[in-house]
Formats: sequence, structure tokens, C-alpha cells
Amino acid sequence: MSQVKIAVVLLLSILLQLSLREVWQPLSYVDFPLVVVVYIALQRDAWQALLVGTLAGLIIDAASGGLIGAGGFSKTLTAYVIYFAATKINLENPLLRIPVLAAGAVLDSVIYVFWHRLLGNPPAVPLMPTMSYKLIATTVVGTLALYMLDAVVSERVAQRRQFATRRRVARRSTGPLRRR
Amino acid sequence: MASVRTQKEIRQRAPIWLVALLVTNLVIMAVDARDADGKHKMLRIWTQAFASPIQSASSKASGATTGFFQQIWNFRSTAQQNEQLKERLTQVEQELNTARQATTENERLKALLNLNETLDIRSVPARVIARDPSVWFNTITINRGSSSGVEPNMPVVTGGGIVGRVITVSPWASQVMLITDEKAGAGAVVGQLGQSGALGSVKGRADLGVALIEMRYVSGLEKVEVGDSVMTTGQDGIYPPGLNVGRVVDVKNGTATQAHQILIQPGAQLDHLEEVAVLLYHPPPRSVPEQTPQNAERPRR
Repeated sequence: MSQVKIAVVLLLSILLQLSLREVWQPLSYVDFPLVVVVYIALQRDAWQALLVGTLAGLIIDAASGGLIGAGGFSKTLTAYVIYFAATKINLENPLLRIPVLAAGAVLDSVIYVFWHRLLGNPPAVPLMPTMSYKLIATTVVGTLALYMLDAVVSERVAQRRQFATRRRVARRSTGPLRRR
Repeated sequence: MASVRTQKEIRQRAPIWLVALLVTNLVIMAVDARDADGKHKMLRIWTQAFASPIQSASSKASGATTGFFQQIWNFRSTAQQNEQLKERLTQVEQELNTARQATTENERLKALLNLNETLDIRSVPARVIARDPSVWFNTITINRGSSSGVEPNMPVVTGGGIVGRVITVSPWASQVMLITDEKAGAGAVVGQLGQSGALGSVKGRADLGVALIEMRYVSGLEKVEVGDSVMTTGQDGIYPPGLNVGRVVDVKNGTATQAHQILIQPGAQLDHLEEVAVLLYHPPPRSVPEQTPQNAERPRR
């Protein structure tokens, strides 16, 4: 995976997270950086997944009212858990990504709230309803976003596309007229 | 073969990277949790300094985007009508919306101006440019920072009442904790200051959201009724006395030994904030009582 592409996607997800709440309040329940973290972890790229998780978490923490580092911690740990699962189980099937994304959203929320409560800085909203909304919004929007990321970032998809084009060109060059 | 080894190496080193990054995050978190007054949050200050122009731009763009989609919706719903009539209608609607927005903004700014004159405290008008990007906290970001004289713990108000206090200040933007946050609080009194003895403190509660706040420690012997107004007392060292907090919407009456349970609807519309004012207010220094009683015997040297 191109590192430049990942950096651009990460930046875009952070910008969306920072600005979409102003457009429509329910959009704040979608955790765009988490979707990117899950995507990279599913590609079994441990180093990039961990680094992107930490960076995305820290930047969002710094712009929010919570503790700086709590989001970094939760996203890094979520990235590792998903990476670990992806190395043990085949999660290539697009349908399997949906429960992975949902589990990632729950794990991220639980760790985030746990640290805030432990350090005497409880969130301003109730845990269960907020976590449920976040789970639904992130899973629905994230599933679509993962398809888009596949098309834009994934080298495997690009290779498959190149291979299909080459095969089409090769078939044309060996058509009945040429054979004669 | 080389690539297989690299993959194996990556798999072996991943737990080490994980632990290193988790420890780094933990250290940052611990430092941030210790620095409660927010004066030394360098990472937060600089992120805000860089993010505020983007947030300001997106805040303006969001208004335009909403208007754009509104126009598309209007266009679809009137597609079968006459083209000219529709265009005229859209134009009139736009003009009307613009006029309405201008009127509302004018009223809000007038209210802020009146507040400024009433309080006799210098204030800085500010625009809300962003809301908390995480869903867990209720902070807002305003487009005024230390370059406009804003400092941590300064009160933020609207014409309707108190909004919250400044928690972090960067050169061009500040973060404000809303009064509905559990960590926020203000000394308040039900009724008029100086006339009522129903003193207590207001603070947010997670399950109430931004719609209501709770007032605690009001003696059960004091008379409190639904509809009573609540004002600040100035005893918290943040808000000046006499600012409107809101109106009582629910009271569970206490007894001689039990305090009232009071719910208040904030006077400021906290879910639709656009313009606010930061009061450049420094509370009067508290007189520190002498530690040793006057009749205590002082040690002889």
C-alpha cells in the first residue's frame, strides 16, 4: 500500500471528523479515522495500522474535550486486535468486515471510556446509548467507506484490474482476424 | 524468501511496537490528566492553532452546503411547476432566508451588546467554529484566542444566559466546556441574588444531555417552584454574579435534612450556538483567612 495514499486518506478522515458535526449533528457518531485504522489492520500491515491508530487518535483527542492519549490508546489497541485476528482468521470476505468493524467500534468506545473514568474525567454523555449510536453509524457508513477504500487504496484491487485489462487486450490481439 | 522473512519479522515485532505506542499514549494521558487547569496543554494548543482555520472554513462551508442541498430539495419538489415561477420562488425564498438569518443574528448580537452594557465587563464577541469531534464530550471551539485577550477559565455567555468556561486557549481559537458537562459547575441561586436563600451549585449530568442541568445542595427548607429563574452568585470564582443560568423546570421537594432535587433548562440555547461573548472577567481575589487563630500562642524564638 502506498504510504502517500494512506497519509492522504488519514488526513481526509480526520478533516471529515473535525468538520461534519457542524453540518449535521448525527454524523459525529461515525468514527471515520477508526474506519481507516480497521482497513489498514485488515490488510495485515501491523506497523502502519498501529502508527495510524496512534496518530489519528492523538489528533482527534487534541481537538476534543477528552484526555489526550485516550483515543490514541484505544485506536492503537483496536488496530492490533484486528491485525492479530486477521493474521489468524481469513477476513478477506467483504461480509466478514461488517462484524469486524462493529467489534472495532465497540472495543474503541469501551477502552476510551474506561480510561476517562479511571482518570476521573467521565464523558459528558451516557455510555450505552452513545456507544450504540456510534456502533450503528460507524458500521453502516464504514462498510461503504471500506468498499471505496478498496477501490482507491488497495494495491491488490489495482493489480486485479490491471490483470483484467491486460487479458482483454491479449484476447483482442489473438482474435480471428489476426489469426488469419 | 526475503519477503517471507520480513513478514515474519513484522509479526514478531508487532507486540513490541504495540507496547511502545501504548506506553507513549499512557504517558501523554497521565500528563494531560494531571494538568487540570489546561495552561500547559501544548499539544492541544498547537493542534487547535492549526485546526482552527480549517474548522472556521468548514463552518462557513457547511452553511453553504446546507443551503445548496435545500435548494436541490426545493427544486425537486416543484419540478412540475412553471420554470420561471420556480426560479422566482427560489429567489424569494433565498432572500427571505437571508433576511431572516440577518434578523436573528441582529437580535442575538443586540442581546450580547445589551448584556455587555448591563454587566459593565469587557467582552469579546466570538463565533462558534466547531463542536467536539468525539461524541463523548460537549465542548465547542470559538474563533477567539489569546490574541484577543481570552484566558483559561473566562466565562462564555450569550444573551440568554451562561454557556460555559474557556478551558484551553490557543492564539486564534479557544475551547469552551459547556455548563452541561459533568465537570462544569457554577454557584447559583434560585430567584434574585440577595433576596433568596436558595443557594446551590449547578452542573451537568451525563444522562440529561445538553437540554437540562441539575442544581444541587439547595436547602429543602427554601421555597422553590417550577418557572423560577436561576442566577449566578459569583462565588465559584469563574462567573460574575447576576448572570442568568436558566429556569427551573422540575423540582422534587426536599425536607429539613434533604436538599431539593432541581432540574434547570439553560437560558442559552446550547445546541444551536452560533455567536457567543467571552467575558474578560477576572474574579476578585479571595481573602485568605489567617491560619492561626488570634488567641493562639505563637512559638517563641
